[in-house]
Amino acid sequence: MNVGNRETRMDPVTAQVIGGALESIAIEMGHKLARMSYSSIIRESEDFGAALLDTRGRQLCESVDSTPLQLGPIPGYMRGIFRIMEERGEEFSPGDVIMHNSPYHGASHGPDVGFCVPVFYKDDLIGFSFTTAHHLDIGALHPGSTGIVDAVDAYAEGLQFKALKVYEAGRKNEAVWRILWDNIRAPEMVVGDMEAQIAACRLGAERFVELAEKYGMEQVNAASEELMDYSERMLRSRISELQDGTYRAEGFIDGFVDSPNEYEKDLKISVSLTIDGSDISVDFTGTAAQVDLPINMPFEGTVDIAVYLTIRSILLDSALIEYVPQNDGLTRPVHITSPKGTLTNPSFPAPTIARFCPGNIVADTVMRALSEVAPRNVSAGVGNLKVAAYSGLKGENYWVYMDITEGSYGGRYGKDGMDAVDTLFANTRNNPAEDIESHYPLRVERYELREDAGGPGKWRGGVGSIREISFLEGGRFCIEGDGHRFAPWGIFGGEEGTPGDLILNPGTSREEHLPSKIPDRRTTTGDTVRTVSPCGGGYGDPLERDPERVLDDVLDGFVFMQNARDQYGVVLTDGDVDRQATENLRSEIRKGRQ
Amino acid sequence: MQLLGVDVGGTFTDLVLTDPDSGSVHVHKVPTSGDDPSGGVMQGVAELCEMAGVEPGAVSYIFHGTTTATNAMLEHQGAEVGLITTEGFRDILHIARHQRPQNYSIMQEIPWQDRALVKRRHRKVVPERVKPPRGEVLTPLDEDAVRQVTRELKAAGVDSIAVCFLFSYLNPEHEERAREIVGEEFPEAFVTTSSSIFPQFREFERFTTAAINAFVGPRVGRYVRNLRTGLKESGVLADVHIMRSNGGVSPSEVAAEQPVTLLLSGPAAGVQGGAWAGGLSGHEKLITFDVGGTSADIGIVTERGFTEAGARDTWIAGFPVMVPMINISTIGAGGGSIAYVDEGGAFRVGPRSAGAVPGPACYGHGGTEPTVTDAHAVLGRLDPENFLGGNMQLYPERAAGAVGNLASKLGMSDQEAAAGIITILNNNMANATHSVTTQKGHDPREFSLIAFGGAGPLHAVEVARILGVREVIIPAYPGINSAIGLLTTDLKYDAIATQFTLSTDPNLERLNEDTARLREEVHSQLRADGIAEEDISILRSVDCRYVGQGYELRVAMPEGEIGEQNIDEVWERMHDLHRSEYGHAFPENPIELVNLRVSGMGQTPKITGVPLSGERSIENARLKEQDVYFQSNGTLESLPTAFYDRDGLPVGEAFEGPAIIFQGDTTTVLPPDTSATLDENGNLIVELREV
Repeated sequence: MNVGNRETRMDPVTAQVIGGALESIAIEMGHKLARMSYSSIIRESEDFGAALLDTRGRQLCESVDSTPLQLGPIPGYMRGIFRIMEERGEEFSPGDVIMHNSPYHGASHGPDVGFCVPVFYKDDLIGFSFTTAHHLDIGALHPGSTGIVDAVDAYAEGLQFKALKVYEAGRKNEAVWRILWDNIRAPEMVVGDMEAQIAACRLGAERFVELAEKYGMEQVNAASEELMDYSERMLRSRISELQDGTYRAEGFIDGFVDSPNEYEKDLKISVSLTIDGSDISVDFTGTAAQVDLPINMPFEGTVDIAVYLTIRSILLDSALIEYVPQNDGLTRPVHITSPKGTLTNPSFPAPTIARFCPGNIVADTVMRALSEVAPRNVSAGVGNLKVAAYSGLKGENYWVYMDITEGSYGGRYGKDGMDAVDTLFANTRNNPAEDIESHYPLRVERYELREDAGGPGKWRGGVGSIREISFLEGGRFCIEGDGHRFAPWGIFGGEEGTPGDLILNPGTSREEHLPSKIPDRRTTTGDTVRTVSPCGGGYGDPLERDPERVLDDVLDGFVFMQNARDQYGVVLTDGDVDRQATENLRSEIRKGRQ
Repeated sequence: MQLLGVDVGGTFTDLVLTDPDSGSVHVHKVPTSGDDPSGGVMQGVAELCEMAGVEPGAVSYIFHGTTTATNAMLEHQGAEVGLITTEGFRDILHIARHQRPQNYSIMQEIPWQDRALVKRRHRKVVPERVKPPRGEVLTPLDEDAVRQVTRELKAAGVDSIAVCFLFSYLNPEHEERAREIVGEEFPEAFVTTSSSIFPQFREFERFTTAAINAFVGPRVGRYVRNLRTGLKESGVLADVHIMRSNGGVSPSEVAAEQPVTLLLSGPAAGVQGGAWAGGLSGHEKLITFDVGGTSADIGIVTERGFTEAGARDTWIAGFPVMVPMINISTIGAGGGSIAYVDEGGAFRVGPRSAGAVPGPACYGHGGTEPTVTDAHAVLGRLDPENFLGGNMQLYPERAAGAVGNLASKLGMSDQEAAAGIITILNNNMANATHSVTTQKGHDPREFSLIAFGGAGPLHAVEVARILGVREVIIPAYPGINSAIGLLTTDLKYDAIATQFTLSTDPNLERLNEDTARLREEVHSQLRADGIAEEDISILRSVDCRYVGQGYELRVAMPEGEIGEQNIDEVWERMHDLHRSEYGHAFPENPIELVNLRVSGMGQTPKITGVPLSGERSIENARLKEQDVYFQSNGTLESLPTAFYDRDGLPVGEAFEGPAIIFQGDTTTVLPPDTSATLDENGNLIVELREV
């Protein structure tokens, strides 16, 4: 690329300098938010985001080590705030703090509450300092803010905040805070986390002003434009390398397998992805109609984020090329459409709170559509995860604990899939057993990898986890998950992976297999919940897998002896690969296939 | 008395010999010997003793900085490790925190899965369980199972075993008993228990720390044995003390048992060296700025000494490490960092480095890509006649060629591109400095910046300008600062006990009991090391957080027994510290006291100063005047610039920038609007004027 001919707005040195300073601000915001916050969902799981935006609401930088699903939606929150404030004729003033969580106005879902501090420099608005975080409880029908899988509409999902000024020109809006205290379970945790969010926003605002003082807003704006253009150029240059055309893929979500209504189970996500020069269009026509259950996905805040982040993770993979800053530029070459009234573009007041797992399938299906043109940059099918809320009463107060389990990735070109990780558009952390048991009447009984379950392939699918949590006193739990009905897909001759499971009281007379979505289940002392996550699909023909790697897998318990033979055609004798017997067996299996 | 400091780095082994009484100082540098660095150490010691006219047997103390543990991790060349862990938790080391290292990548590597410290086949489980809050036994340890899996691991050929049980930080009995059984069944194995390394909650991080210890243990043990034997054979009879990541030294036997504490051995010595040199000139608040060929290590020293990193902020080779480490921010920025234009048109510098081979283009060893050093050459800041004491050939025309290619891509002049390289690098280093200053509640403008390493003094003043720092110090021997730092430290042991007690109803009895116990632990270790009673000091602190938070702040404990009155001081200090770290405190909220920490320090003899000698005057020092490019008032200008030889500079006589100062192991750049003075301690003090 001939850089000299490009029309630049500013010199590349200052652009780099200001870009680095912006990112350093967002990282500091995130760092402080994590350290000041109370609930494990923020401080341990890091389910939060921090970013600075320009006056038009375009993202300039983000706290690069927190989760994409909190970071990505921030500009959408901002657009929602703009829209509502314009409708109401409201304006931003110095000292304002705005709270927002409406999924029909850009928020990712209700529990992910955004706080926004408008930043002023010499009486001018210069941008916004923004944080989002998942809150433990937001006043929905059940304790906790996850697994509310029987919410019938947006009202049942908890409090809705539409661009509310919780501080107005520096003055605290006491009534709003009283409503929060009175309508949220475990308010000391939730309100403490909200205060931490505001403190982090204010810190970001201060640093933003310092940057403006140092370089002047003209320079900062010019550098920001350059950074966004840069990210856009990088993505466009990757897209243009791909063969033009339309590529289709379908994915399925469990839905509610125990529902009497056929239209509430085995729901289709349909993706047509068109590459045209340096643009990508993604169309969801053909996707199942919206349902009166909260697995609908906000078009702006979940669907768009799943698409953007999957495309960037495949085409601008940070392990393979330079780190490209995540900003508004990366959305410009990508155009998303979905018919109104579908799972991927629901109409108000359809419930959306449990949109996480279906969003993973959207991401997974977009990857599948890209696999034909970018075979060396994708993985085979990804195993979905489960998110659980465990809760109970201590006297008159609730305790609520939110547990995020893990999925797994499919095999990749030259590499096996990643085992037991958060997937695709999210990247949270688990909570240590030693933290859980020190704070809640729960015991972690088991946390291990699944065995003999990764999708067979030249590069094997990653394996999921088995996690068991028991109640030391009576309480309740609810779970949103997916991946019980449909195994992650194999690719290029690889076989599919293994679905997940959810078992109550495993190995006892009260053992019960449950569907992937469980609203509010009461428990008694000793009840044990086992979550089993799916294992990723295989990549390439398992008969082409290096027999030594199959041997390693057998030694490590990832593949059992019998399946080394049956799935991989590898014969092991005396703890070693029998090369000749393996060749013979493999050619026999190949013949049998024809 | 003779003190010897030996710092083994990746390329060079630096040595310093000093007599604290006479003040004599001798320095030496030899290439680091590849496979077994102890060979290079022996050679260096023999040569240095000869140069100084000192009998090897006359050396009383040897202080050593080593990269053996670090390299074992970075190269992933360690022991075959077996793990014995709690039933149900075989894969904690593999699942980790279930977070991918990179947000936006399908093809990424996961260090703990792709480069596992313990293969799954060597991860064995046994029935046992203790539980919170006090470590009560829920399931007794199945001793037969421990015996059985130990035999299996021995048969499988492991040579090191980590014993890692849940909640062992609350009650280490099961781990200790398992260690005994392993010792009976497999006495040759190197055994590590997680509670003896770092008894703190968060199982993945604690288990990983123990597994790292197990992984590097045998290799470090061999190295230390070779070193001790070799030194004895060369007639050096003194005990070897090794610098640990916590900024203190310990006898080599102790260090070899806990090699995970050696991962920052060299950089910790660097911060100490900076603190010592700055202290000579009366400076207590320092940003230490150590820049080499590939990376920059930035540390911080306050009135209270160096700061320790938060346990969650320390990583090695992609793995978390939970042992006390001096707080250092490292970035891939140094003299060899390569500048380029990426495919999106962005102008980038580093982290890729030309390293020692091929090195910068201007070294003439075959490098063709433009590096930071080449940029300095293009700007006229490196003088072929005086570069590194005239011992190193320099080819400025090759620098011009390499930078020229980049400049034409950017549509700039060669000088503009070179100045751009320096500006981008300096700003990257300034951002890294923010993570140990502004982000920790320290205002960099209140600090002096002390620069060392081969490339530190080339950048220090310009980086100080970005940070608003008004004073820069260049010590006498910037190139061997870590070796000098080794001669400035004390013996140091850390002990820790988890408390989990609340400000609303603190368990003071337990706190006082544990304090006494840990105090005795570190105290007896120091006495065993031969430290006299009057040279022992004990520091006590507690880790606190607001109830519900997940990160702790380190609060100093008041003197004496803790009672109803002085415990309130602890809570007050916690509120203050929270306010200064985060800009916000929650004085109404209850505080949880999570850990008690006791550090024992045993004083050892130290270097006292560096002598200045020779005929010194500005005229003697002045080499020539030449045009050099500087950024001044936002524009790039060529300014007549004085070149000085540091060894000729007079004490107490100020001279003005722009100037370039040459010495044997580094070059100092003084931009316009600065003045510099050599002080009587051998430090060059640079003042930055307001512009």
